Amino acid sequence: MKNILTGELVRLSALDADEIGRTFARWGRDSEFQRLLNSNVARMASAKNAQTWLEKELDEQPVNLHWFGIRKLDDDMLLGDIDLYVYNWSARDAFVGLGIGEREFWGKGYGTDVMKVILRYGFTEVNLKRVTLIVFEYNPRAIRSYEKAGFRHEGRMRGVLNKEGRRWDMLTMGILREEWMEQNK
Amino acid sequence: MKDLFHGEFVRLTAEDPDVRAKIEVHWQRDSEYRRLLDSEPAMVVSEKWLKDWFEKRNEEGFSPNRYVFSIRTLVEEKLIGFFSLWVDLIHSEAWVGIGIGEREFWGKGYGTDMMKLCLRYAFTELNVHRVSLGLHSYNPRALKSYEKAGFQLEGCTRKDTLREGKRTDGFWMGILREEWLAMQNGAKP
Ligand SMILES: CC(C)(COP(=O)(O)OP(=O)(O)OC[C@H]1O[C@@H](n2cnc3c(N)ncnc32)[C@H](O)[C@@H]1OP(=O)(O)O)[C@@H](O)C(=O)NCCC(=O)NCCS
Ligand SMILES: CC(C)(COP(=O)(O)OP(=O)(O)OC[C@H]1O[C@@H](n2cnc3c(N)ncnc32)[C@H](O)[C@@H]1OP(=O)(O)O)[C@@H](O)C(=O)NCCC(=O)NCCS
Repeated sequence: MKNILTGELVRLSALDADEIGRTFARWGRDSEFQRLLNSNVARMASAKNAQTWLEKELDEQPVNLHWFGIRKLDDDMLLGDIDLYVYNWSARDAFVGLGIGEREFWGKGYGTDVMKVILRYGFTEVNLKRVTLIVFEYNPRAIRSYEKAGFRHEGRMRGVLNKEGRRWDMLTMGILREEWMEQNK
Repeated sequence: MKDLFHGEFVRLTAEDPDVRAKIEVHWQRDSEYRRLLDSEPAMVVSEKWLKDWFEKRNEEGFSPNRYVFSIRTLVEEKLIGFFSLWVDLIHSEAWVGIGIGEREFWGKGYGTDMMKLCLRYAFTELNVHRVSLGLHSYNPRALKSYEKAGFQLEGCTRKDTLREGKRTDGFWMGILREEWLAMQNGAKP
């Protein structure tokens, strides 16, 4: 069997509350990163805030959540985090979310690589039937990366977001188990 | 000013938890209603559980991002359904959930009337920019009713439901404030 936790450039790793708490606090200082990541109001968290929150989350480890660090294979550097959240077990559908906090590593293939790893994990380990994601229209890099990983466009919620004094659309994308199987024969 | 609480066939009400629980337990025994409403595995719950739940919501009191109404018919004063609006306060947009639990009232125009009140409330009282909702592709009655109220189909989550051995799609729809305003001035949905 394949090593399902490793891709070509990166591997999935365990999250260490101490390390990632400090790193999250640092990544959070990049407001562009925060705005690409989610629609919340950009806020600052101290390393201690982030650690306390993470310890609690990691302790609970609900069966719905599969959450990993992303590390480079060559030097083991922590690049970001990725999670699969199964929100519908009867249809076996999960949301995926990821972020590379180290911005000098954007656009170099790491994101697409880790997405391929988590899709293989989702479809062959968690036995999902579908993976879903949402992405904002002002994030063309992410959209392109998801297309490369095999996602298809499923629709666009018009004008959901308000940032920078204007409205923006939110796109949704999805990939079905049978599509993934076909692409990975 | 326009009446926010009365439509053509229905009015918005607030109900005491025991009244609401008594009727809700009866609605929830209808598995078709449950399966139209959402994607959670259909469950039966006790009247006591529901009453506690409604009481807890009451105790929480006012919340700026959650608006829940019960619905009565104008003619018989019959309690037939509900709608809820959840507002994202930062982005000024809202999600709606709606249901008529009394199945003999399906397909008679009550739901569209409820949705019109819901939109008037969302756009002229909460002042949101947009209202969204989701539904199953196997619910054509709901789709038709939402289109009549002015919603546009915006996307389709392929095969996100597995019921009765069939994988079916999820739809979501949206209406923008300017589209709703144009309809008030006579534009067709
Ligand atoms: C989204 C993210 C995970 C993508 O990973 P990545 O490693 O940057 O992406 P990749 O390098 O694998 O692929 C990016 C693709 O977009 C292209 N691209 C880069 N910038 C672009 C831009 N401004 N417009 C259009 N395409 C762009 C790249 O050329 C590449 O496509 P190609 O291989 O066909 O040339 C990563 O950029 C990231 O974490 N960003 C910050 C947080 C974030 O956006 N999270 C996602 C929230 S949904
Ligand atoms: C969805 C719901 C609120 C709609 O309210 P309603 O009062 O039934 O809808 P209306 O009568 O106002 O409009 C329904 C429209 O669909 C049409 N319709 C009814 N059954 C239909 C069917 N099987 N296929 C296609 N159209 C149908 C009706 O003819 C009517 O259109 P018309 O006025 O052009 O003739 C209500 O049916 C309901 O609560 N159902 C159960 C729970 C539910 O589905 N909730 C929604 C979850 S997203």
